[in-house]
Amino acid sequence: MESPFARWRVLSDAAARKKYEAYVKEADANIGAFLEFDAGRPEGRPGGCLEGVPFAVKDIIAVKGFHLTCGSKILQNLVSPYTATAVEKLAAEGGIVVGKTNMDEFGMGSSTDNSALGKTNNPWDGRRVSGGSSGGSAAAVAAGMVPFALGSDTGGSVRQPAAFCGVYGLKPTYGAVSRYGLVAYASSLDVVGVCACSVGIARDVFELMRGQDEKDQSSLDPGPDAPGPDAKVIGVLGGDLGLDPAVERAYRAAIGFYKSKGFELKEITLAMAEYYVPVYYTIATAEASANLARYTGIRYGYRPACAENPEELTRRARSEGFGDEVKLRILLGTYVLRSGFQDQYYQRAQRLRQAIRADFDNAFTRADVILTPVFPTQAFLRGQGGLDQFQQKLADRFTTAANLAGLPAFSFPAAVEDGLPVGMQFLAPAFGEARLFEVVRLYEENFPRPLPPRYKPEWS
Amino acid sequence: MYQSFIGLEIHIQLLTESKVFCGCTNRFGDEPNTNVCPVCMGYPGVLPALNAQAIRLSYVVARALNCEMSPQAVFERKNYFYPDMPKNYQISQFSSPLGRNGWIDVAYNGKTRRVRIHEIHLEEDAGKMIHAGDMSLLDYNRAGTPLLEIVTEPDMEFGEEAEILLQDFRRTIRYLGVCDGNMEEGSMRCDANVSVNLEGRGLGRKVEIKNLNSSRFVKMALNYEIGRQKEILDKGGKVVQETRLWNENRDVTETMRTKESAHDYRYFPEPDLPAFVPDAEFLAQVDRGLVELPAARRERFVKDYGVNEAAADFLINEKGTADFYEEVAALGADPGAAASWLQFDVRKILNRENRELAGSPLTAARLAQLLSLLSGGRIHGKIAKQVLEAVFAEDKDPGLIIREKGWEQMDDAAELAALVDRALAANAKAAAAVKAGDAKPLGFLVGQIMKATQGRAQPQMVQELLKEKLGI
Repeated sequence: MESPFARWRVLSDAAARKKYEAYVKEADANIGAFLEFDAGRPEGRPGGCLEGVPFAVKDIIAVKGFHLTCGSKILQNLVSPYTATAVEKLAAEGGIVVGKTNMDEFGMGSSTDNSALGKTNNPWDGRRVSGGSSGGSAAAVAAGMVPFALGSDTGGSVRQPAAFCGVYGLKPTYGAVSRYGLVAYASSLDVVGVCACSVGIARDVFELMRGQDEKDQSSLDPGPDAPGPDAKVIGVLGGDLGLDPAVERAYRAAIGFYKSKGFELKEITLAMAEYYVPVYYTIATAEASANLARYTGIRYGYRPACAENPEELTRRARSEGFGDEVKLRILLGTYVLRSGFQDQYYQRAQRLRQAIRADFDNAFTRADVILTPVFPTQAFLRGQGGLDQFQQKLADRFTTAANLAGLPAFSFPAAVEDGLPVGMQFLAPAFGEARLFEVVRLYEENFPRPLPPRYKPEWS
Repeated sequence: MYQSFIGLEIHIQLLTESKVFCGCTNRFGDEPNTNVCPVCMGYPGVLPALNAQAIRLSYVVARALNCEMSPQAVFERKNYFYPDMPKNYQISQFSSPLGRNGWIDVAYNGKTRRVRIHEIHLEEDAGKMIHAGDMSLLDYNRAGTPLLEIVTEPDMEFGEEAEILLQDFRRTIRYLGVCDGNMEEGSMRCDANVSVNLEGRGLGRKVEIKNLNSSRFVKMALNYEIGRQKEILDKGGKVVQETRLWNENRDVTETMRTKESAHDYRYFPEPDLPAFVPDAEFLAQVDRGLVELPAARRERFVKDYGVNEAAADFLINEKGTADFYEEVAALGADPGAAASWLQFDVRKILNRENRELAGSPLTAARLAQLLSLLSGGRIHGKIAKQVLEAVFAEDKDPGLIIREKGWEQMDDAAELAALVDRALAANAKAAAAVKAGDAKPLGFLVGQIMKATQGRAQPQMVQELLKEKLGI
């Protein structure tokens, strides 16, 4: 079988590279997926399965010599002194990082418009957002600039932009891929994920990145009881899901497809669903309030021109360096962690999180995988007709569950409605990625990834 | 009548090769900011990885202090901003520290008091900030080095007890090899708390005292503070709950901050580190890390070697000395003599030369040999001291030294008889006096012979021969 990367060895010789660079330059002038692009970096190990293959990395994952801005003014000048484990594993196979992609500041957002450093337009419609927070990674893949791009998924940040841009988006099991080098937003929810142009590529990249890492003590290898690849029963959600009509149609069509392929479709009830969003925002902001405390301009990053003392330096660096959404979440997180209020907020959220996990354990006794929408809308417009920050948070109700329960989830382009892609996702029990790849591969065989009309390079 | 309640919070820097959550060297005195990496500098994206040696040493201390060892040690984030703390949270332990409910016995004034250990937890140290003129300089070499905190209950009454506890504790951690216990250099730090109340009324208002750079200052500060608080209560006043600093120039405590710290550290479990769950193999390793502790050793030395309390105290003070002593005794030396030589003659030379026993030319084998030469009559006491000096000066075995220098005792009867004859002939007046019944010049005659032989003559034999020749 031919390697899914065969067509993508665009950096294996100078002529191909030149052509490739010219394409990316032109395409990205309209899209703005990259914050930094440099295809001329020393090549990775020759002979590896990714030899000559470019890939992009969300600017929240460390690659030595590239910037590590996290889409924030506070880290705008930071060049990473080290490389993330996941990236090192891909480079060891010959993969070449060609750039860093745009994102919502520190991963906080669903549009990539919360980036302090640039806008990323949706390759299907430049007036619309690319989704977030890994919008740059999803857009770069959708527009054929790279075969895959690493992202991070804390509450849907790989799957939702993948759905908005019409590509595959994998959120692995928590701990399956080392987080070393992934800048923490909410440590107990964060995972390194992949936006990819095919199921095969998503699968291969995941297989290369996975594995226990001594630098990340929360990482682990699958146990002997990891779920097998076969799925027969698909759990689906009943009732009114509050979806836009286009998304609703696509969900019903996907269910119909699997039914026609002989799967048993079983309606399941996720009793804890109403808690996903509040629990997510309580835990994520609490952890973020600590994780983002290190940005003070003292050792690296944005530093105000002058300050009377270290306290003022810190205060000004943070006031001037962080965007509004980040400040909001730091304040929320600080609030929920106050002593005397922890039981009401943070501890309560942790107890509910346990219940959410138990709810899924229970659901997976009845179904092998669960099929749900990714987001209640398609890629939304900027400004009027779009979603405000609060609506965007409420719309995380399908994606946050996998993070709270630590489960793998895989979003895929299920349909094109009104000229825009619609994404669906499968969830599986922990370490059940193989099952996700199998079930989505079947869909891909029947409905190959749709390409945005304007971006169809020969290798994509 | 008043009663005072003293508790201590002791921090010790663990002697690990590397820092507690990264691979950087754990060493002091290096160029600022050289033992640093992205992890201990709090760069974005890095993660802590728990150092196995640090957690093992921590459990060894917990075990040595009779703690219940937590089956699940949880790390937590303690949130506060300070420029020398790279992440602006400290990874520490709060809800489930690694050790709890231990104790340490303190003997003072003929009484032994059991001071309870509330908890022991492992955390990371911060860097150092130095204010220089209008600049603030930061050195992160210390950031992320392992720090163990031991918190006692307020079970002591007198400053002296706190001093003794600290000294005993310091000896214990040195025995265990987990910390060098240097309070001046800060590898061991102590904050004290004390409250005074009418007897039977329980704890009073707690005052914390910082800036205590020696166990003596701890004693002085606590006793000063107890006096100060009693005086306030005597006058019907109220003690302010506050943190005070010990002023070592004026021997008083002074207010540092009165505002009862409204610090909310917002502790929550560290998501980057799984709880540490010690397994049977780990606990066996911890057991292997335990050594006989000073108190037990002191008792055994008195019992097994018959040394007195003072000698035992001296011998067990440093583990190296105690080990050395036992080695000498095992080589057959008389335990009493060995103790006395170490306590006096050897110590005198070490003090004079300002050096440690370990690494000095005096090995246990050499001391044992010296004592055996002495007890076997091949040299006598005065020469033995000369030999000891020579061992230090020349780094040679005592046997070789006395051979080279011809210091071996003269105990050949014929040779000595000739010397006695010569001495009697040269000192006829003294000889006559002895013969006439005055015993005093006998010592003079012995001295003459000793002088003639540079001290090598066997003094008893000389005396016997003299008596024989003089017919007394």
